[in-house]
Amino acid sequence: MKSIVDTFFNFLLNQLYRIGQFGLFLQHSFSSLFSTQSEWKETAKQCYLIGYKTLPLVGITGFIMGLVLTIQTRPTLSDFGAESWLPAMVSVSIVREIGPVITALICAGKVGSGIGAELGSMNVTEQIDAMEVSGTNPFNYLVVTRILACAFMLPLLTIYNDIISMLGSFMGVNIMGEVSIRLFFASALSEISFLDIFSSLIKTFFFGLAIGIISTYQGYYAQKGTVGVGAAANASVVISSLLIFILDMVAVQISSLFS
Amino acid sequence: MSNQSKEYGYSVKLGAFILVGLAILFAAIFFVGQARQLFSKTFSISAVFKDVNGLQAGNNVRFGGMHIGAISSIEMLTDTSILVSMDIESSSQQFISKDAKATIGSDGLMGNKLLIISPGKGTQGPIADKDQIASVQAISMDDIMEKLYVTTENANLITTDLATISGSIRSGNGTIGKLFMDKDFAENLDKTLINVKKGSKGFSENMEAAKKSFFLKGAFKKDKDKK
Repeated sequence: MKSIVDTFFNFLLNQLYRIGQFGLFLQHSFSSLFSTQSEWKETAKQCYLIGYKTLPLVGITGFIMGLVLTIQTRPTLSDFGAESWLPAMVSVSIVREIGPVITALICAGKVGSGIGAELGSMNVTEQIDAMEVSGTNPFNYLVVTRILACAFMLPLLTIYNDIISMLGSFMGVNIMGEVSIRLFFASALSEISFLDIFSSLIKTFFFGLAIGIISTYQGYYAQKGTVGVGAAANASVVISSLLIFILDMVAVQISSLFS
Repeated sequence: MSNQSKEYGYSVKLGAFILVGLAILFAAIFFVGQARQLFSKTFSISAVFKDVNGLQAGNNVRFGGMHIGAISSIEMLTDTSILVSMDIESSSQQFISKDAKATIGSDGLMGNKLLIISPGKGTQGPIADKDQIASVQAISMDDIMEKLYVTTENANLITTDLATISGSIRSGNGTIGKLFMDKDFAENLDKTLINVKKGSKGFSENMEAAKKSFFLKGAFKKDKDKK
């Protein structure tokens, strides 16, 4: 009985410690984001790795999403004789919801796991400690650069994803019917408002921030051993993905206040 | 490849990636703004309606089927008059006359509401900024339903009358009822038709005899020659 109580208290203390540790990590991250000692060169490199290198994956996924969404929506709309609404309907779905969320989930999978595993293995092999000893601020160099890169690259990747998805949708529309690209974009853009564009960009900034913070935290404080690296990569993806949906729900509530 | 050239390579790629992304964003902002006339010169006109049928600020304004503007605001003046203000592209100003009329319609059967400006006679010159044009109250769905109700009521009365008439016919009342249902009448009619047949046969025989008669032969011959 005593051992069960002890285990429970140990678990509770451990969780409280992790929460406190995360709080301090957040405070440290935000204070470092605005510091003048930022590693801009490393940030640019991370932007390249996170943004440019993820573009092909985001592009292919976006194109398929646009195509599939159009093909799936067409029968329902044609039942009502409203096939001409297809470009507007699909592009509104892409810009408001599918584009930002799919891009963020892809980044959580590819970038989040990468950061978690990279920082985790650096922590396990004590490279982070070595950096500290050599006089480099590991927090600024490893954590802040990646958080900034995630936060800035996510909106940019979403813009690419939106436009490529629309091209996929244009192809989907033209499989069964015939719509010129001019008419397609005219009817697609007629239903999109500035609120849709800006709310989508702002929320992806926060999605990026969430992916960056969660995955760097998981990697930076990974448990020792190879198991710890795997756990850090896994937790980065799972928690980031969950957080994306929670943030999306909050963003929809906030943007609906302005619409 | 040296570290420096590698760094230069990815910096160029990153720069192009950011620039193209921003260019797409600005193009999207420009086209969305253009679709909403945010970057084109506009002027404002208004119309007063009794019922706006769900028209909202932001709905499109059409003239001759073309999209020329958007509703800027809708405000209630009194309990029976609602002021609808709209922003119209300045390029359309010269074509809209002061006697143009505004109607509320919809884009397709299920589409958004929109305001349609019909051209006037063009005798009063082009419209000016802040002018108010006349409005024509559009037929609402409620009006259509009300008329449909009256039509259904009338159809109901007609079918009731038809049922009464067919009942009377079936029971043999009235002239038509007798015509269809009375057996004696049918027999008499049959006999009359037989008599008529017999009479016409006799008449035909008499005429044949007349043609051969000495006194009338000449008259028939004259008629034949004329033909």
